[in-house]
Amino acid sequence: MAPSSSSGLTFKLHPLVIVNISDHFTRVKTQFNPPASVCATGNGSSTGDAMFLQNPRVYGCVIGVQKGRTVEIFNSFELLFDPTTDTLDRSFLEKKQELYKKVFPDFYILGWYSTGSDANEADMHIHKALMDINECPVYVLLNPAINHAQKDLPVTIYESEFHVIDGIPQPIFVHTSYTIETVEAERISVDHVAHLKPSDGGSAATQLAAHLTGIHSAIKMLNSRIRVLYQYLVAMQKGDIPCENSLLRQVSSLLRSLPAAQSEKFQDDFLMEYNDKLLMSYLAMLTNCASNMNEVVDKFNTAYERHSRRGGRPTLM
Amino acid sequence: MVGVMNSVEAVIASIQGLSASSGDLSALHDLLKGAEESLRADSDVKLSTLEQLDPSKHSLGYLYILDVLTSGPVSEEKASDVILLIARFINSCDAGQIRLASEKFVSLCKRLKDNVVKLNDPLRGVASLLTAVYKVQASTKRLTALHPDCLQLCLQAKKYKAGFSILSDDILEVDQPRDFFLYCYYGGMICIGLKKFQKASELLFNAVTAPMHLVNAIALEAYKKYILVSLILNGQFTNSLPKCASTAAQRNLKTLCIHYIELGNCYNDGGIAELEALVVANSSHFEADTNLGLVKQAVSSLYKRNILRLTQKYLTLSLEDIAKMVNLANAKEAEMHVLQMIQDGQIHALINQKDGMVRFLEDPEQYKTSEMIEIMDSVIKRTIGLSKNLLAMDDSLLCDPLYLGKVGRERQRYDFGDDFDTVPQKFSM
Repeated sequence: MAPSSSSGLTFKLHPLVIVNISDHFTRVKTQFNPPASVCATGNGSSTGDAMFLQNPRVYGCVIGVQKGRTVEIFNSFELLFDPTTDTLDRSFLEKKQELYKKVFPDFYILGWYSTGSDANEADMHIHKALMDINECPVYVLLNPAINHAQKDLPVTIYESEFHVIDGIPQPIFVHTSYTIETVEAERISVDHVAHLKPSDGGSAATQLAAHLTGIHSAIKMLNSRIRVLYQYLVAMQKGDIPCENSLLRQVSSLLRSLPAAQSEKFQDDFLMEYNDKLLMSYLAMLTNCASNMNEVVDKFNTAYERHSRRGGRPTLM
Repeated sequence: MVGVMNSVEAVIASIQGLSASSGDLSALHDLLKGAEESLRADSDVKLSTLEQLDPSKHSLGYLYILDVLTSGPVSEEKASDVILLIARFINSCDAGQIRLASEKFVSLCKRLKDNVVKLNDPLRGVASLLTAVYKVQASTKRLTALHPDCLQLCLQAKKYKAGFSILSDDILEVDQPRDFFLYCYYGGMICIGLKKFQKASELLFNAVTAPMHLVNAIALEAYKKYILVSLILNGQFTNSLPKCASTAAQRNLKTLCIHYIELGNCYNDGGIAELEALVVANSSHFEADTNLGLVKQAVSSLYKRNILRLTQKYLTLSLEDIAKMVNLANAKEAEMHVLQMIQDGQIHALINQKDGMVRFLEDPEQYKTSEMIEIMDSVIKRTIGLSKNLLAMDDSLLCDPLYLGKVGRERQRYDFGDDFDTVPQKFSM
């Protein structure tokens, strides 16, 4: 809805902020929506909570550093939202700000965050309230709806600008672009989170599966991009698309940078390794199949033996 | 009379009308089942009534009327007409409609087979029965009653390749155990005819180890052939039946095939002369079982097995030495044998003709060609498919009430106190 910002500031977002916001949201959501058996006794909550049950909105503050034209958002903390006055709890915010100042003296309050799908009018209220701390606060919005088709992060950063609407200058939210900036420590944790499976994070099987899935998706993406290039070149050859020499030069340099390993020996070694891997997976499959067969035979024998063969004590399971 | 004629006309009309969709077809099927008796009693049902129907569109009705026409005893002259009629029907009928009345179709095809056998011309029936098998099969993994008949005809007509095409599908579901036994037995014989001894051994093994409460004749014959095929294929004989064979088989089969077991034991010792003497002594038994040809093949395979054992002892050997050790007549024959074995891929060797030396080599397969990749890929895919089938079987067994009842009974033997629930003996669904 909002047009792009024209303030010329570059925003850098750290992944810690994103993780914090999503963690806050998930926590509140699970606390509001306990499992069905507990809920059945009746919440006694008002109908106003019905909205919360679906996707409770969480609020908080983002802090960071502003150096010249670059705004870098490092961290965030949570805030209480007062639904009666529709504002954030001021005293709480100041207390937290004191605490954070002691640990990170460089960080200032840069703005606030919330969850939802789009920025709306009520948010402007909160935004204005924060304007006395920082004259140009940012609003970080996280969309908690999981959309598998979407490839980008569901995080948008809004700034406020004064536009003339109906003759009155009014502040409205405008989009700004941002980049993700990581510190080494953050990279490790993001990696770890990305490869965690919900059930058990550390076992070898899931790590292998996760690793292979990662490689598989990477190769799939590579394949689709090469296909796009190929179709483009074919169309260019046929004459459907006008020849663009700069693109052709880029493609040819890409091709020349491919590994030049076409020798006989490479083929031999490559095929031998490939066959070795195939043989190993074949062995694994055979073992798996044999164990399945063993289970089936055991069950079949227990179910359908006419007279039991057991002579002594029954075996412990 | 008029009333009777009307019923035939009515049936024809309803067949022509109701053969369009599946709902109509089931209604038609019930109608035909009801009308079957009256049709049989009706003497006016003739070939001309068949002309009014189109076999590909009205297959179900055509099937019933054809069945009525051909059910009586058939004389020699009429037999070939009947064969033609049935064959043409099989070729043009619609598989979906046929499957609604599969037993009728199967009995019709069996009639075709009997007539063909009566005329001593099995070749005429082979193609029709092949198409019939594929049409009546609900899925490629199901064994039908037509499989063994088709294989029998192929055997009699000596058209082994046609029969082999049916054998290449894996069978996972079987309706009638007798069909299964016959299928494995005939299938084994067809593979022996094609000299595919590996597959023959697998099929005969299935026949021998299939569950049975009492020893049946098919399994017995299969076991005899199995012994001979394993001699030709593996070069050795194991006296014991595989453990998965049923208890009835394990107790009784050996006592009924003593000649073959003697033959096997003699083969294991490796002496050609004794083996041949034994064969001559028992040739009447072997001939009674029509296994004499197979026995002769087993004897000639003993040479191969002895040469194979030589490769494990020597690196190079002269042709005369080979001939001496294996009891062959001269070096020339030894060379022929070795050459044959190299061509079959049983051994890897180089024959140096100048000084008559044979050098035995290792298997040159390096497993680094792309053809090998394709072979491995297809083998792995097959194993994955097999694993999936096994898991499905496992799941279905887990839900089987027989199994659950027995498992529950076992658990009750433990007295772990009151905090251990017992599995209920009966599940009231």
